[in-house]
Parts: sequence; C-alpha cells; structure tokens
Amino acid sequence: MSVLSGDLSSASKPLKITIAGVRGVVGETLTPELLVNFSQAFGTYAGPGKVLVSRDTRVSGRMVEPCVCSGLTATGCEVVRLGVCPTAALQLAVRQSGAVGGIAITAGHNDARWNALKFCREDGIYLNAKQAEELLNVYHQKEFTKAAWDELPPVGRDDFAGERHLAAIREQVDVEAIRAAGLKIAVDCANGACAQFTPGFLEGLGCEVVAINDDPELPFPHEPLPTPPNLSQLRALVAAAKADAGFAHDADGDRLGIVTEAGEAPGEEYTLCLAAEMVLGRGDSGPVVTNLSTTMAIDGIARKYGRELIRAGVGQVFIAESALNYEAAIAGEGSGGIVFPRINYAHDSIAALAHILNLMAERGEPISRLIAAVPKYAIVKREIVCPPQRAYTVLEELRRGLDVPWASEINLDDGIKLIGSDRWVHIRVSMTEPRIRVIAEAAAQGLAMDLADDYVRLVERKM
Amino acid sequence: MAGIQTLKIGVSGVRGIVGQSLTPQLIVGFAEAFGTYLGGGVVVIGRDPRPSGEMVLNALMGGLLSTGCSVIDVGVCPTPTVQHAVVDLAADGGIAITASHHPSEWNALKFCREDGVFLNQYQAEELLNVYHQGAFAQRPHHALGRVGSDEGAINRHLSKVLAAVDRDAIAAMAPKVVIDSVNGAGADCAEGLLEKMGCEVVAINDVPNGRFPREPEPIPANLGQLREAVREHGADIGFAQDADGDRLSVVSAAGEAIGEEFTLAFAADVMAERDAPGPLVTNLSTSRMIDEVGARHGREVIRSKVGEVHVVETMIATGAVGGGEGNGGVIDPELHYCRDNLAAMALILQGMAWRGCTVGEWAGSFAPAAIVKEKLSCPAGKTQRAVLALVRHYEGREMDLTEGVKVFFDDGAWMHARPSNTEPILRVIAEADDHDTARWLCDEALELARCTIC
Repeated sequence: MSVLSGDLSSASKPLKITIAGVRGVVGETLTPELLVNFSQAFGTYAGPGKVLVSRDTRVSGRMVEPCVCSGLTATGCEVVRLGVCPTAALQLAVRQSGAVGGIAITAGHNDARWNALKFCREDGIYLNAKQAEELLNVYHQKEFTKAAWDELPPVGRDDFAGERHLAAIREQVDVEAIRAAGLKIAVDCANGACAQFTPGFLEGLGCEVVAINDDPELPFPHEPLPTPPNLSQLRALVAAAKADAGFAHDADGDRLGIVTEAGEAPGEEYTLCLAAEMVLGRGDSGPVVTNLSTTMAIDGIARKYGRELIRAGVGQVFIAESALNYEAAIAGEGSGGIVFPRINYAHDSIAALAHILNLMAERGEPISRLIAAVPKYAIVKREIVCPPQRAYTVLEELRRGLDVPWASEINLDDGIKLIGSDRWVHIRVSMTEPRIRVIAEAAAQGLAMDLADDYVRLVERKM
Repeated sequence: MAGIQTLKIGVSGVRGIVGQSLTPQLIVGFAEAFGTYLGGGVVVIGRDPRPSGEMVLNALMGGLLSTGCSVIDVGVCPTPTVQHAVVDLAADGGIAITASHHPSEWNALKFCREDGVFLNQYQAEELLNVYHQGAFAQRPHHALGRVGSDEGAINRHLSKVLAAVDRDAIAAMAPKVVIDSVNGAGADCAEGLLEKMGCEVVAINDVPNGRFPREPEPIPANLGQLREAVREHGADIGFAQDADGDRLSVVSAAGEAIGEEFTLAFAADVMAERDAPGPLVTNLSTSRMIDEVGARHGREVIRSKVGEVHVVETMIATGAVGGGEGNGGVIDPELHYCRDNLAAMALILQGMAWRGCTVGEWAGSFAPAAIVKEKLSCPAGKTQRAVLALVRHYEGREMDLTEGVKVFFDDGAWMHARPSNTEPILRVIAEADDHDTARWLCDEALELARCTIC
C-alpha cells in the first residue's frame, strides 16, 4: 500500500541530481541543456571509448536520446544506440561489448512526465556512490573533453542487445521443464521496454501467453510500477483467461509484480521470495543479498537453505555491488527488482519471471501455494513529500527523539531502521524523488499499519 | 584582437569550430530558439558530410523536439536540397548544417523559413533575440515532436533540375565533364545529374566524407587538381563544387580556371533567353558581365546587398527571370529561390549545347574584364569609419551607398568596399578592363582604409 501525502509541486522543483542519476520532468527541468551537459560529463568521465545508449518507451526518450548522443559524441565517445530495450539488456551488453560505459534513458517506475539518465560503468553496474560523485564533480566543473572535428566517431546501432539478453536468461533456466509444464501466463508490459520482448520470450518457453499493454508505441496505461494498486487490469485478465499466473513489468524491465491464478496480487515483496526459492533450491552457492527495507520473509527462506542474509543499502547499485563482492546466489529488493549473478549484475524483471516459471514447473504447484509457503508478514509502505533541503534534518531530529522499547536494534546505514523480533520500521529519504519513505512490517496487517501510521505522524510533526 | 575568432553568431547563422566553440550546448540552445521562434511545426534538417555533422544533427533534434517541433532528417545533401525539401514537405522551417566553404573543422547552422528561403536580416535578428533571452518553449512529454526521415529529397531535387533543362540538347552534345566535388555534399548527386544529362563524367574528390582535399571555396587558386584532370582527360569542361553544393566555378577545355564570376554570367545568359519577363538580380560586388547579359537580352539588371537572402528577396519582389552572386552562386527561380550549383551546371551545359560553343569561346564573347578581390582585417567598430573615409575621398564621383560604398570610374571600372557579414574584415573588390587597373583601384582603396583604421 502506497499513500502519498503532500503536494509535489509546492515541495520542490521536479529535478533530482543524485548518485542514482539525473531525473526530471520533461518540459520543466529535464532540458536539452541539462542532458547534453550530463552526457558530456559522462563522456569526459568514462571516455574515450564505446558508450551504449538505451531507452524505455517514454515518448520523451526520442528527445533525450539525440541530446545524449550529441553530448557523448562531442567528447569523442563512440555511441552505439540499442534503441528501446530493458535496462538489464543494456547492462549486459555493456559488459559483453568492451564498452567503457552505458547510459539508460529511463525513469523506471516514475510516471510518463519524468525521464532520467542512469549511468553504467564498464562492468554494467550502475556507478556507485563514489563514482557518481566523481561524475557530478565533472558535471559541475564543466570542463568537458572536446574532441576535434576529425575525432568524432559516427553513431552506431545494435538492434540485438534485447535478444542476446533473452538468450542469456534462457541459458540459466530449465527450459524443458517449463515447456513440459505447459503454463498459461498473463503478462502486463505497461507498454514499456519489455513489451516487444516478454510475450515472444514466454512463447519460446512453451507458455500460452495472454498479453496486455504490449504496444511500445502507446502511453503507459497506468503508473508503470508493478504494485498491487496498478494490477487490477492484470488480475481481471488472469481470472478471465484462467491463467496459471500473471506478471507485471515496470517501464524499463527491472521490477516484476505477481498475480496468482486466483487473481490475487500478493505484493511485489514475493518476487524476491519466489526467485530465491528457485535459485537456492537448485543449489546456487553464496549468500542472499537484500536491502534494509525488504520483508523479513526472506530471512526465513535464507535460513531454510542455510544461507547468510546480507542487508545492503536501498538501491540497485548497493544490491549489485554487494552481490558481486559477496559472490551472492541471488540479490534483490522488496520492490520486485532481482539480480541473478549468473546472468548479470542488474535488476532484471524478465529473468525474475523466467525463474518463477521455473519454480512453478519444478514444484508442480500453483503459484498461490508457492506464495502460501513463504513466511507470512504484512508490509505497509508510505511516502511523505518533503523538500530535499529538509529531508535529512527531519530524519536527524527524529533519530534524536527516538525511544522505542520494542526495538532490539537500530540500524542507521540508510536512514533509520528500527528492528524488533517480530516487526520493523524503516524511515529513509528517497534517492529518486523528494520524499521520505516509511516502510513497516509485522506479522499482522493491523499492527503494520499502526506502526507505519505512527511514524508517518512523527515525521510530519518534525516538518 | 586576442586571438582568432572561433565563433560567429550573426544574421547569416551560427558558425564555430568543433571541439572549441561549436558545442552541443550552443547548438541545443539555437535549436530551442528556432523551435520557439517557429512556435512548433515541422523542421527539415540536412547536412553536408563533415564528420561533425551527426553530432550537430543530434543536438538540433534534441533541442527542436523539446520545443514541440517535429524533425524530418533528409540526411547528407547539398544545402539547396534542404531548401527544396522545406517546400516539398510543406515544412515550417529548415536547418542546413554546413559551414559552406570553410575548412573541415568548422561547422554552422543556416536557418530557413517555410518558403525554403534563408531567414532575412530582420527574421534572423528576431531569432537572435529569442536565443539571447533564453526563455524557450518547453513542451511536456505528450506534446514533444517526433523524428522522421526522408530519403527522397536528393532525387526530388535532381528531378526538378532535370525537368527544367534541355536534356536532349546536352545529350546530343555528349560533353566530357570533370567534376571536383571536394568530398562535399554534392559528390554523389552531381555525378548522377551529369550522367542523367548524357555527359561522360570523370569524378574527382567524389567521396562525401567531409575531409576536404583542397580549400572548399571554388576559386581559381584552389583548382589546380581539377585543371590538371581536365587537361589529362581531354574534357570539354571542369566543374568545381564547394562543400555544400551552392557555389560553382568552371574550368575551360584548355584547363584554365576562368574564375567564379563567369558562373553567374553564363547561367544568367541562359536564364535571360527565357520567355518569362523580369529583370536579372545580383549583388553590388558582382562582375559587370551581368550588365552585358542584360543588354544582350534587353533585361534590366538590379543590384541588391551582398548575401543570398538579399538577392533572393529582391528577385521575389521584382519577379526576376534569374539571379545569383559573383562568388559562383546561381539562383534559378524556375526551380527555387536558392543558390544551387546543380542547377548552375545544367544551365551552363544547356547554354553550351544551344550555342554550340566551348567554354573558352563563350567566355570570349564577353568584353575583357578583370576583377580583384581583397580583404582587410578590420576591428568591428572601425569598418564604418573606413567606409566613410572612402566616401569622402571619392566625393564627386558616381557612388552607390546601398551597402558600404561602391564607386564608379571611367570605362565601366568600379570599386566596392563593404564590411563582411561573416568575418571582422572589410572586403574591397574592384573591376576594370584590365588587371592592372583593377589592382590599382583596389590597392588605392585598401591603402586609404588601412590608414583610417590604424
């Protein structure tokens, strides 16, 4: 459940320049000047060499892409355009092609008004905090590399990065088992970057496919975030088509949401739980990595398979770097973005889908039964709009006044996380939006909601 | 002056050196200004083959799309092809990415309005105001423009040129032509046009890669290779293009670079033979040979300020039968109001075919004239002072003060001194019956100007 209080426009200008990239609203803050400047900064930082560029299906990508290409070319980088494809496909292509980096043009799950640049380094992982700060310094110094007229490489194209990505996923799942299961799968691509890939991919796995919102030329039919409030159309489709399961992508193919054969949306926290069941169950070695805001249910699954659980900061780069450093079996976040280290160090919703199908096929059980087997917790997610200049002060004031008898541990790695034996609450500043997030989890829905409400009220009082 | 100027923002467009002044920031800014100035609509973009063209194109597309304009990319083509395409595609404007006759490291933007003519001085000033004010139209995501491409622009342009020329006469003459395209925008299309007209073609520097093997300006000093090729192949004529296909000059069968002034003289001689009424229009600095053409065909000759748009607007206003500039830019109003060296080649070959003469014979039909062109580096603030000094010095002689000062001497000699539109220089041009007189007139004006500004 996601509840937004406050008014975005009065809170701040819609622009976020952070270590997660540069994100803004087209027509307001995400101007061509900003885009060419950041692209030149990245070309100066990462170049010279090959830089791959992809985009999701947002119409503004058509404006952003040439700005990015021009800025990169001006620094002497050789740009290769992948066109519309999942960000995970770009990240894989960067690693495989000897490129020095990549830029994904996508605002992920944000609505169509937004767009963003996300910067990858040569191993396909997003820039980490230190690297992103270096990039920001280059951006602010504005002393960009300027290549001479005869050092400007032509812009190239690679139309097969998406297909190579699918092939890499196929290699890691039991295709014969999935084929033999003869599943009927409903999928909602949100008219995003997976629209032209997932239906065909599923057919290749022998599934009977019922696809909606699979036209990349059309606008997002709903907020491209695969959380339960956005899944009503898919739930109705699963029920009407009597599908074995339904899956929802976000705009750029990093997060996956699930609908059961009963037409229920259990929540995107289950994506990691089911994927971990599959990966740990087949015996991939290594610990499980997740973030501080993700369900306790994953603790239970890791325990069941005798694996260590490592909690990193919230955000793809923290998860991917930890997965790499700890040689994890699987890594992922409660938002539905899962990293499969055998394939790629990227949030990858198509890979998550393939692994959950593999689990369904292997266990021979309906997806509702697989979900029922996951330890049961209720998780509640709230957001409070907060001007960015206030956010950290609010959290600091909150921390000073804290007196929490039920918490046995207070973790300050990323905001404030209060951890008890049967509940937790995590209060943190969003990296992508001018918001403070409050996530609470407990064994019962009522308790989780009360917990979340308490802390939303506390935060609001500090503002 | 602190150093060589590497950026020029003026009424004739925006020009800079890639890797120095012509940055993506500057280009998106001008693209947004132009999109804001047009208030949306469709913009045609074409480019010459300089390696920096794609970087410039991408920056333009980003800037234009953000203001709600859609873009049609017509690819690498001559500048006149862009101007034709604006009209053919009923677009609202156009941008030619070309630094014309400047070396490879330069690139520039030239802005066209919806009739396919470059912005005039007043319109260009409006655009500059929009640019400098910086308050650009910013459209939300659902109102952004789209990108399309059009591969047919060159073929449509060539078809129009072919339809307007007497192909049978040229084919019957079957001339052997050497074409030097300076590896510029005209490379492929000039060869195609000449072949379709029935010429035997020898092409040199015909790889459109923007790496110019000679200075791209088609003046005699740059045509050594072409002159040699004409002699070696025993060709009837040699044509030299500039980098973006608007200017042309001619080499005779004897291998002589007869000078770019003859391009308009020949083309005007042919256009003036048409049934259509109307005067001939050229600029103040162009050779008096066009007056001879006017006299031959009973046409008035009207002179405008220097610059394509000035000549074009005068042609439109007077319903001219033909026009152009002495730098080798021919404007054939039957095709379009733009300088077009493909049209110029067609006219000149048709003229030779109808007359049954050689280049040398045709050139010899004009009274002997020599033209000398010089320039003087001159701080921007002092050009007017130099002009004024010249006006005072030549007081009592016949003068034209339309642009700078043009002084008329005996025996049809003249001297024209004017500040350049594109560079911080004073241009001084003189023409007389013989070279020595022209040189003397030019040097006298130069010396006077130099004394004034130093």
